[in-house]
Formats: sequence, C-alpha cells, structure tokens
Amino acid sequence: MTEKILTARFEKPDSYRLSSYVEDGGYEALKKALSKTPDEIIDIVKAAGLRGRGGAGFPAGVKWSFVPKESEKPKYLCVNGDEGEPGTFKDRYIMELDPHAIIEGAAIASYAFGAHVAYIYIRGEFKLPIERVENALAEARQAGFLGANILDSGYDLDIWVHPGAGAYVCGEETALIESNEGHRGMPRIKPPFPAIVGLFGGPTVVNNIETLSYVPHIINKGPEWFAAMGPEKNGGTKLFGVSGHVKRPGLYELRMGTPLRKIIYEVCGGMRGDKELKAVIPGGSSTPILTPGEIDVNMDYDSLAKIGTMFGSGAIIVIEEGTCIPRLAARLAKFYAHESCGQCTPCREGVPWIAKILDRVENGMGLPGDLDQVLKICDNIQGKTICPLGDACAMPIRAMIVKFRAEFERHVEEGGCPFGPTPTPWDSES
Amino acid sequence: MAKVTLTIDGKTVQAEEGSTVLEAASAADIDIPTLCYAKDLEPYGGCRMCIVKVEGIRGMPPSCTTRVAEGMKVTTEDDEILQARRMVLRLLMADHPSDCLSCPANLECELQALTKKLGVREHGLIHLDRQATLDESHPVFIRDMKRCILCAKCVRTCNEVVGAGAIGLINRGHRAEPAPFLGTGIKFSNCESCGECVEHCPTGALYYREPGPEPDYEVSTICPYCGTGCGLVLGVNKGKVIRAKGDPDNPINQGHLCVKGRFGSYEFVNHPDRLKTPLVRKDGELVEASWDEALDLVVQRFKESKGDKFAALASAKEPNEDNYIMQKFARAVMKTNSVDHCARLCHASTVAGLAASFGSGAMTNSIEDMEQAEVVLVTGSNTTENHPIIGNRLRHAIDKGTKLILFDPRDIPLAGKAVIWCRQRPGTDVAWINGLMHVIIEEGLADLDYVRERCEGFEAVEELVKSYTPERVSKITGVPAQDLVEAAKLYASGKPATIIYSMGITQHTTGTDNVKSLANLAMLCGNMGKPGGGVNPLRGQNNVQGACDVGGLPNVYSGYQKVTDPAARKKFEEAWHTDLPAEAGLTITEILEAAEKGEVKALYIMGENPMLSDPDVTHVEKALKATEFLVVQDIFLTETARLADVVLPAVTFAERDGTFTNTERRVQRLHQVIPPLSGCRKDWEIICDIATRMGYPMSYESESEIQDEIAELTPSYGGITYDRLDRGDQLAWPCPTKDHPGTPILHTKKFTRGKGKFFAIEYISADELPDKDFPMVLTTGRILEHFHTGTMTRKSKSLHALVPGPYVEIHPADARHYKIRDGEKVRVSSRRGSIELIAKVGRVDRGLIFIPFHFFEAAANVLTNPAVDPVAKIPEYKVCAARLEKSA
Amino acid sequence: MSNPASRENGVDGPITINGETVRAIDEIVKRYPVAEAALLPVLHKVQDQLGWLPVSALDWVAKRLGLPKTRVYGVTSFYTMFKRQKPGKHRIEICTNISCSLLGAEHLRDHIAKKLNIKPGETTEDGRITFDEVECLGSCGTAPVMLVDDKFYEKLTPEKVDDVLDKLNKDDLEAGGND
Repeated sequence: MTEKILTARFEKPDSYRLSSYVEDGGYEALKKALSKTPDEIIDIVKAAGLRGRGGAGFPAGVKWSFVPKESEKPKYLCVNGDEGEPGTFKDRYIMELDPHAIIEGAAIASYAFGAHVAYIYIRGEFKLPIERVENALAEARQAGFLGANILDSGYDLDIWVHPGAGAYVCGEETALIESNEGHRGMPRIKPPFPAIVGLFGGPTVVNNIETLSYVPHIINKGPEWFAAMGPEKNGGTKLFGVSGHVKRPGLYELRMGTPLRKIIYEVCGGMRGDKELKAVIPGGSSTPILTPGEIDVNMDYDSLAKIGTMFGSGAIIVIEEGTCIPRLAARLAKFYAHESCGQCTPCREGVPWIAKILDRVENGMGLPGDLDQVLKICDNIQGKTICPLGDACAMPIRAMIVKFRAEFERHVEEGGCPFGPTPTPWDSES
Repeated sequence: MAKVTLTIDGKTVQAEEGSTVLEAASAADIDIPTLCYAKDLEPYGGCRMCIVKVEGIRGMPPSCTTRVAEGMKVTTEDDEILQARRMVLRLLMADHPSDCLSCPANLECELQALTKKLGVREHGLIHLDRQATLDESHPVFIRDMKRCILCAKCVRTCNEVVGAGAIGLINRGHRAEPAPFLGTGIKFSNCESCGECVEHCPTGALYYREPGPEPDYEVSTICPYCGTGCGLVLGVNKGKVIRAKGDPDNPINQGHLCVKGRFGSYEFVNHPDRLKTPLVRKDGELVEASWDEALDLVVQRFKESKGDKFAALASAKEPNEDNYIMQKFARAVMKTNSVDHCARLCHASTVAGLAASFGSGAMTNSIEDMEQAEVVLVTGSNTTENHPIIGNRLRHAIDKGTKLILFDPRDIPLAGKAVIWCRQRPGTDVAWINGLMHVIIEEGLADLDYVRERCEGFEAVEELVKSYTPERVSKITGVPAQDLVEAAKLYASGKPATIIYSMGITQHTTGTDNVKSLANLAMLCGNMGKPGGGVNPLRGQNNVQGACDVGGLPNVYSGYQKVTDPAARKKFEEAWHTDLPAEAGLTITEILEAAEKGEVKALYIMGENPMLSDPDVTHVEKALKATEFLVVQDIFLTETARLADVVLPAVTFAERDGTFTNTERRVQRLHQVIPPLSGCRKDWEIICDIATRMGYPMSYESESEIQDEIAELTPSYGGITYDRLDRGDQLAWPCPTKDHPGTPILHTKKFTRGKGKFFAIEYISADELPDKDFPMVLTTGRILEHFHTGTMTRKSKSLHALVPGPYVEIHPADARHYKIRDGEKVRVSSRRGSIELIAKVGRVDRGLIFIPFHFFEAAANVLTNPAVDPVAKIPEYKVCAARLEKSA
Repeated sequence: MSNPASRENGVDGPITINGETVRAIDEIVKRYPVAEAALLPVLHKVQDQLGWLPVSALDWVAKRLGLPKTRVYGVTSFYTMFKRQKPGKHRIEICTNISCSLLGAEHLRDHIAKKLNIKPGETTEDGRITFDEVECLGSCGTAPVMLVDDKFYEKLTPEKVDDVLDKLNKDDLEAGGND
C-alpha cells in the first residue's frame, strides 16, 4: 500500500545534495531520455498515465504534446511550486528534501517539448525550499546536468528559480505566467492556451513540482510499472497531506486509488481522541466537503469526480464531531476574498460578500434569507469567471451549506454559534 | 479576410475570422450589454456582463473575448444568462453609492442604464464599505473611486492607447483600484491630462470639474494646434462651442485627443476677450472703428506702399485658402513677393534641406506608416508633448516591438522608452550623424546597392565621414563612443528604420546641414521610399505645411513653383490677369530688418505674433514700432496687435470652412461649427474686400471655390476638391488628378529630383557658445499644455490651470551650484536681454537650461540669438549662451 | 507643492542599495529575456536589504529595470510579501487558515496579541516586533504553525509560543538590547 517513490530518499541525510542524489542513481533517467527522441519521451509519459498533481489532473504527456513542434518564439517550462491551497504541504517537502528529482524531471520535460529555459516558480514564503532548489540548480549546472550541451547531447537548458511574493492566485497557470513575467498575478483569458501562447508569448507548459518529480522514475522503470500502481487512467502513487483531527497527521505516499476510509483510520491511526468523524475535505480547501457516509471512496481523480467532489491536490482535511462547519465556511470565504485578483466582477465582489454574510451567520447576526442568497451568488460565480478561483470558493461553500444546512440554519435561528470556541489539542491532551 | 458563418440566437450570421462574438452580434444588430468593453481597447473580459452561452463550451464565456468559429451556436440571452447579468449588476450596486441624482454621471452612467434595462431596482445585498480614494488633486478632473466598478478602462486607455502609464491597478481583489504612483494625487504623476480616462469611464468615478451642458448639435472639424491634424467633434450649446471629442472616423487620431485638443481647442473660441470690432489708432490709442472706416484707411495707406514698400505675413495657423489669398494679394495687388510666415522659424531648413536631397521638402511617409518601422530614430522632437497623438502612436508601436533610438539632450518622456538614449550637446547634430554613418560604413552595414542605384554624391560623404570616428564624435557631442556605435548598429539593423525629427534639428544656424545629414543617413541604409522608412519632419503648426504649399513664401508660388521661373510667372500672370514681380521677396527676418530701416513702410500681418515668436523680440518690437503702417488681423489683441495702426477682427477655425494640410501632407476639411461671431470676418473675405477696394476685384463664393483655383494652378493639389474630401477621400499630395488616390509615401520608385543626393557636410559649431560671462547653454521649445505664443492656449481655462506661467528647467547639480531651489524665482540673461521666471529643477542635462517660449511675461525670445542659417534663414532658437542667477 | 503621497508613505529618506544587492540584481536580470520579468526577485532582493520597500526603493527599482513607476507600484501592492510600511525588527506571522484553525490557531493568535499588547497587523511600540495573521503557510501536517523571521515553528502550543517569544527577547538583550 505505501509505495515509496518520491519520498524514498526523504529520510536520508543530505538527501537534497547532488552527491547523495547521484549515489542513488540520480540523473540516469536524464541520460537515458537524452538518448531518445523527444516524441518517444512524450509517448512514454502518456502511456504511464501521469496526471497533473497540482489539482486539475490533466495528463502531463498530453499537455506536452500540445506544444507546437515548430515555434518562432522560444518555448518555456514553468514548474509550479506556488503551493498555496490550504491543506496542501507536499511540494514543499520535495523541494526541501529531493530538489534534484524536480530538476531532473524538469529537464526531461523540457527536452520532450523543446524548451531551453525553465523557471521554477516557488512560493515566496518558502525560504528554505528556495534556498535548497537554488543550491541544487547550481550543483546541477556545475556538474553539467544543466547548461550548454548537457551530457554531450547537444541539448541546452537553463533552469532558474522565480520566487513568488504572496498571492494564492499565482498557482493558477496563467496567473503564474503573468507573475513570472513580472506582472500582477492576473489570470489570462483562455484561449489562447499557454501551450500556444504562454510565457513571453512563447509556447509554455506549466507542470506541478510533484508531477515532474515522477518523470525520472517513469523513464527509469517504464510506463507500465507506473500505470500498474493505480486504477485505470490514474497511474502511480500520490503524496497525500493529511491534516486536521487525526492521530497522525502528515505526508503519506500512497497508491492512487487508496480508499479514503483506510487513509483516515489505518494510515493516520484514526480520529484524535477517537472522536466521531464529522466531515472530510478530500483534496484541499477548494474541493467540496464529504460527510462520513461518503468516505468509502477510492482516492483517485475519477472516483472522487463521480461523487461530486474533486481529487485536487490530495490534501485531506479531517474534521471531527463538534466542529462548527459555518465557522470553517466563513474562514474559507475570508481566505478566497483575500486572494481574489480583482479582475472579474462576480469573484471580486461576490466572494467578499459571501465572506461577510457567512461571518455574520457564524456570529449570530444572520438573517433568514442569507443562506439562499449565498447559494445564489455561488451559482453566479461558478463558471462565470476568467480563472477557477471563484469556483474554488463557490464549490466548497455550496457543498458545506447543502450538506450541513441544518447547522447553518441553527446559527440563524438561535442567533449564535452553538459550538463554543474551537477545542485545542493542548487542552485535550493535557 | 476570411469569413465564418455562425448562428447567434438562431440567426445565421457572417463574421470576419478573428473577430469576437460580441462584434459579430453587434454587426447583426443583436445587442449584448457590456461594461468593460471599448472598441479601441484590447478585450478585458472582466465585468462579465457580456457573457453568453456557446454550444459545446462549458460555463458562460464573455462574448468580448470569445472568437467566432465556423458553425458556432451562440445564445445571447436566456433566463440563466439574464440572472447572471443581474447578479453582476447587484454585486456592483452593493458596492456603489446609491446617490444617482447627485452623481455627475447621472443619466450618462452605463451602470445606471443597464440596471434600468435589466430591471434591477434593488440589489438586496449589504454594503461592503469599500475603502475608496477621492482624488481632487487635478485641476481639470476628479477621481472618485467609490463609484469605480473596476472595468479598468481608464488604466487600459492610459497604457494601451495613450501610452503614458500614469495610472495602473493597485492592490487586489476587493481592494483593487486604479491609481497613480503611490495611490494619491494624479496631478503629481506623469498624467498628461488628455482626459482619455474620463472619456472612457462608464460611471461617475472620473468626471470633469466643470462638465458642460449637453450639446444641441455636433460638427466634425480639424484641431487647430500642432501639425498632426486630429479630427475633432465640437459640440455646440446655445451657439457656443462647449466641448471637444476626438473624431472616431479620423484615421489619424481614431477618436483620441491630447490635452490641447480636448480643452484648448474650443475654450478660446467664445472667450470674452475675442476681438469683435476693428480698431484704429487715433492719437496713439487703439479705438473702435467701423469696418468701412478701418478698411478705407488700410486701402489708402496700402495704395501708397505698393512694391517693395509693402510686406505681408501669411499664417501657419490659417487654412490653405486664406494663405493662398494673402500671397495672391501681395503678389497681384501689392506687386511684391515679400510674403512669408513663421514656417521660416520652424522648418525652413527642412524645406531647403529635403528639397536639395530628395527634391521635396516634406515628411516622406505617413503617420500610420511609422508603426511598421522596426527601428525609429527620434531626434530634436519631444514627440509626446509636441505632437501627442503621434507620440502616443509611437509609444504604441514601441510596446508592440519597434525599437527607439533617441538623441535628445533633455530627459523627455520618450527617454524612458528608448533602447538607446544619447544626450548630445545642443548644436552638434552634424557631428553625431556623421559619426553614425562612419560606424555604419566601417561595419559594412550600409545598403550600397541602394546607394549605387538610387543616389548620387556618396563618394564625397564616404570620404568625409572617415574622420568622424566614434572617439572624435564623442569629444564633440559628449555622447559616449560606445553608445554611438550601438545606435549606429541598431539604426542600420532596422529593416525598415524611420527618422523622426523636429525643431531640435531645424532651429540652428546649421539647420539645413542637419536636415541634409539626416537625409544622408536614411539613404545610406536604403530607408527611403519604403513603408516604415523615410525622413519625417514633424511640422509644428496645424497648417504650416499648407501655408508653404499654397505659396506663403517669398520665393515660390503655390506648389513650390519658383517666382524667378519665367514660365511659372507667366502662368500665374495669365491666371490672375496682371503682371507679377520677378524677384524673390524678403523673408520674415529680412522683412523686420527692412521695416526697422524704414524700407518696408506698410506691413500686413495675418494671424501671426512675431512679438513672441521671433528671436530677439526687443529688436522685433523696435522694428514693428518703426513700421509706418502696421495692420494686424487676428482673433485676440495679441502682443503684436497692440503695436498696430489698424486691427481687424478675424474668425477662429470653428467659424468657417477650409482645409488644413497636416504634417504628412494630408489635406483635411474644416467644417464651420458656429457662425462667425458678430463683427468678425473670415480672413480671405477681408483680404478680398481690401483688394477689391484697391481696384483689383477678388471675389469667391466660398472656400471651395478658392480651393478649385488652387487646384487649377498647383499640380500637386490638382486632384483635390471639397467634393472628394467630403466623401472621405484621404488625400496626401501629390494628388495631381481627380482620380489620383494621393501619395502617402514619397520617393518610392525614384526621388522627386531623380536621384537622391548625398551632401558631404562638415560639423560647424553653434553661432554663440557659452563663455565666462554667459556660461550656460539656453535652449527653447514647446510644452505639452501650451502652444506657440499662447494666443489660444492661454485663453483656455483648463490649460491655464495646468501650467499658469513661465519657468526655466535647470539640472539639479546646476541648481545646487547656483543655490537655487525648485519653485524659486530666477533671472536668466543673454547678450540681448534678461527675464525673470520660476526655476523648475530636472529634465535638462548639466550646463543646459530650457525655457518654453509661450509666455509673454517672460518671453524666451528676449534672450534668443537672431543669427540665422545661411540657406534657410531660420534663426538659432535652440542654442545661445545665457547666464543664470537667483533673483534679487 | 510636494506630493502628499510621499508623506503618507512614511519616512522616505534617500536610500543606498549596496553593491552586493546590485550585483545580485544584475545576475537575476540576465535570467530573463526582458528586464521586467525580474521585477519580483529584484523587489525581494531590495527588500532583503532594506527590510521593506519605501517610495525611494520603488523609484530605484523602476529606474533600474526601465519600468514605469506605476507598474512597479501596482505589482508591489498586489503581493502580500512586499512591505510598504516599515516593519519591526522581528516579524511573527501566524497561520489561521483551515488546518491550523481546526487545531486552535485563533487561540494562539489571541495569545500572542495579548502578550505583545498589539492587534494583528501592528508593530509593538518599541518597533521590535510586527505581528500578523496570514493565510496558509503550507505546513498543515504540522499545524498550527507560525513564521518568525522566515523560520517555521510547527505543532505550536501556547508554551511553545512563549518559548519562542522569550528567546527573541533574550537574543535582543544579548545583542545590545536598545533596539
């Protein structure tokens, strides 16, 4: 069940150094890849069924194949390390503990679709990850894994770190591209898609850190090996970040398709203080919430989509009985209001409005029509904005209200929150 | 362009490939509501008002950003779409003051109109209490951000269309707002006050301090300021011109205006100080007189002063027809060729230089053409301030990839956009241009095939520029040698590259040399006669090109037909039924000299103000006072008119028909907007009246009839008629026949003179250089907010509020040296005089001072050097030695 | 008339960007086909040196990269990490987003606020500590978390928070104290 691919080297001392990486067979995949044609690489990754681990789940190989072969403008790879989705903390670990895996994956991807410059966009707050990746890049350059004529193949590639500066929306690929160009992180209208017109106007692929880190392994061990590890079209393992009210929160590498119940009750040791489960957010804060009756689901893209939620970034937030859902909803809405870029009216105006109403509901000042009003606004945000940030607020809020409506109504009727202050771990453990 | 067929609301529609669903719907008369859409801006897709449904596309994409596709099925309205649009409006309203009745945009507000249209009466939401800025710093408009709906049109206009970049979006999400640098006080930003943002604002977030009443009617005409020739739409309320908008159908400005066009173009028209009755000097005082009384006096005195005793000044501000009539009057009635105008003072060296090099002394390419250039070399032109709409188009081209090389000693706004910016010492232009040619030839970058095939005289230039090494040129000009090399390589790399210049090149004792040198450079790289290439002098006044074209010059009739050419003279003698003088007349500076000596006894000035515009005005004043009989015909009592013996009140551009020829030789039509103010007459009518009273009957039904006479006698204007112009034909001369489409690009197959001629020119220093007594170099010029002698702009309330008075720009280091602080009063002196004005620290290079010449109370031309270019007789306004000191 | 903005934005004396920063910036600019793209990392470098971004720093960056000042300002105000107010010597940022909130982050926030006697977003009167409440820091598996001078402190309890604050005090005292 636990299959260590990406996390295999995490425990090693100096795992982030080139010497350690090479000792474990690092950059062999790059050597191998450079001896193949770019199209062969794309076919291998397609066959592996590697899907984007950032949240959208788009097959990586297919994404690469969208990039035109001939292009007047240079092509670019942007590596998305702007990990900001609440609940998510996987890419940070890879950057800190195995940065060369990212670099090797990025190099193979760049070779596959013909980029000669790549940028690793890292959240500005991640000082240590930035330092580790920058050092790793310097090591790789020094060793000839990057730069001109890599490993005598005639292929040139430079990779640079581009630090973000505190904007969740930059995790969206076109906002990331804008930010990489030195602009405000305002998402672009699509089409044209980045694969055609992206960074500096050139064809561009944006791939998540985790996605690219799988690539060297796929090249080394073959696509069949990878595909076999998960259900159909959901190959490989996944880094699941579990947080909230479980006994052992943390980062777990598990096969795609591992049942959610198993993750909560076996992998993470069950609920803290053996309390009852109240709800689970399965894939980061923007994915619709699940009730205890819905946790017999396999954790993969398609299974979660079937029950009306999303796989997202694999960030599982576990919530125990006694937690106030309206309070969570209000907190989430406040987050999205803070992060809206301000371009589209429904998101810019609607999300702060939802936040304000939910805050008033939580604080006992809610009015009878408030919940329907919020649902109506959610409906008029979803699918009506340039980027998915509006959806990322509307979908989970809608699910919380629909699935826990009685609780919200009780707040309005009773003119206050029936739960009292949030319990604290230090109190319950003492 | 290919067409695609799609269905919109069940209707089959054809649309151009690449167009948007919104455009396709609009063409099919299907109305889709919008807020952030503007025809002249890139699609933004932010307001989400224009969302539609497209079969096969998830969600509701905005129609303004969705491109049409073959077979597309679009629904522009159903219950869901309406609900989403209503929600957008409700959310905007929840954040918007509900004080429509007291809002400056009441009844013109697009938000208000849409709420009414979509039936949203109440938003039913709570207010979000957005923190919003109220910016009242600007004298002309107010920014009240609580009414802002974040459509970003203002920001997009300022960046995409104007290119000033004075405002941008700040903060994010709900706290986002359009703002100048640091968020407060647009007045303190690099705002160019053009008002485009206000024009684009759909609500009352941006509004003029003094919004005029709604116009009763509107008329399109041409702006009376610089040579760009923007189309204006003037609005009239109760007989007065009350507002100006850009004419969207004019291909030059495409609906946009600069600050002068927006405010200055009409605010002077109905000014109370307008002259409304003739004035005659009696006992030393100018007193009101009847037209008959005034004209009788004029006729009597003119009759006594025929021949060389008479001179006339035509006007670069007046339409072609009036200038034509004025020169005809001087030649046919007064029997003298001494007619000149202020083109002498701005581009005489262009006319002389380019005529010698190419055979035609005008801009070789069109304004539009500039956007096709890969490289633009701008020198001696503060384009964004003096030809703002051309400047905007240039900035737009730069944003799209055109590379700019700038040679200018001042830190003008374009400097920030330049790939290479060289600050040459004023008066060293021949040296750096020779230097660039040296590098281009050395590096093998010259287009020698072109030179061989199309030009002559190259060998001498090749030989001469050998000694202009970057090191030597660097010593002369102060430009680092490396920059010269890079500038040369960059210019040579442009295929094509264009040269844009203005008075920084022409107003020198070496003006003609400077112009010929630029011509050399352009020919050397094979840039002539091609779209996106050329040598392009930007003409300073609305009709300076036309005034020259129709013969407002002492040596030529209309169309540059020489007065000394017997055949040309015969042609005009036959047409005008009289004999004509055979010798060239005096130039403007010579006229004044002759007047001072008493040789010219009667002087007739139409719409010019030499008391401010000519160099060494103390001397000009002497000359005008010495003139026995001075007639000034103008719209205001100008500094010159005050010295006149008779003042005749004329009409403004808004009160008449006519044609202006803009800087790119395009002839454009003026339309009468209001009838002439009571008591005022059109210039040509006054002149014809005088001529008739003098026994030479001149009478025309209309301006159109005058134009027909011009066309008949002027080959290059031969095909230009009012009928064609009114049809919308865009005619740049030469346009010899009625079926000729005009000539936007000159010298395409061969040069007008046959072969392009290279001139080998050595560098000569300016006439007056700084010394111990006068250690600074003074240069003069125009600023964005004012024009020429301020006759019109200083009567504009808005422009006056923006820049109320004279100032001198000083380098910070010089300011420290002279212990002068920004805003302090200083005295500037030259060998010719001395003025007091306010110090403004910044923009100029060290050792240089700059004074705008618009202000009578501290006239820069008290100081300037009257030394002239030996060929073109243009004075050296751009360099003289001066002294700077703190006022006592 | 001077620009009121310069007054509103606090103390804005002339700044000196040191050679090390300038060299680092020149290196960074080379990584991009256009200088503008280097704006974020360049602003970081300048802020690393100055501790914040005063008006004069924005001017300096605009000039250095050849950008309109409004663009630099627009970018600076979009990203939360760029500080337009002078912060305290130390910065404490506590996450109160969902995973941290579930484990009592608001209690810790109030605890720190009480202890420092300031509200989130403020700086202590002695200018020593700026305290703020921030969005998800990507450390949810070890919630609740805070950043102190860019260093992560995880699985927080009131006691742990007290230890961190005490250590800050102690370090400052040892370093000379009168900051």
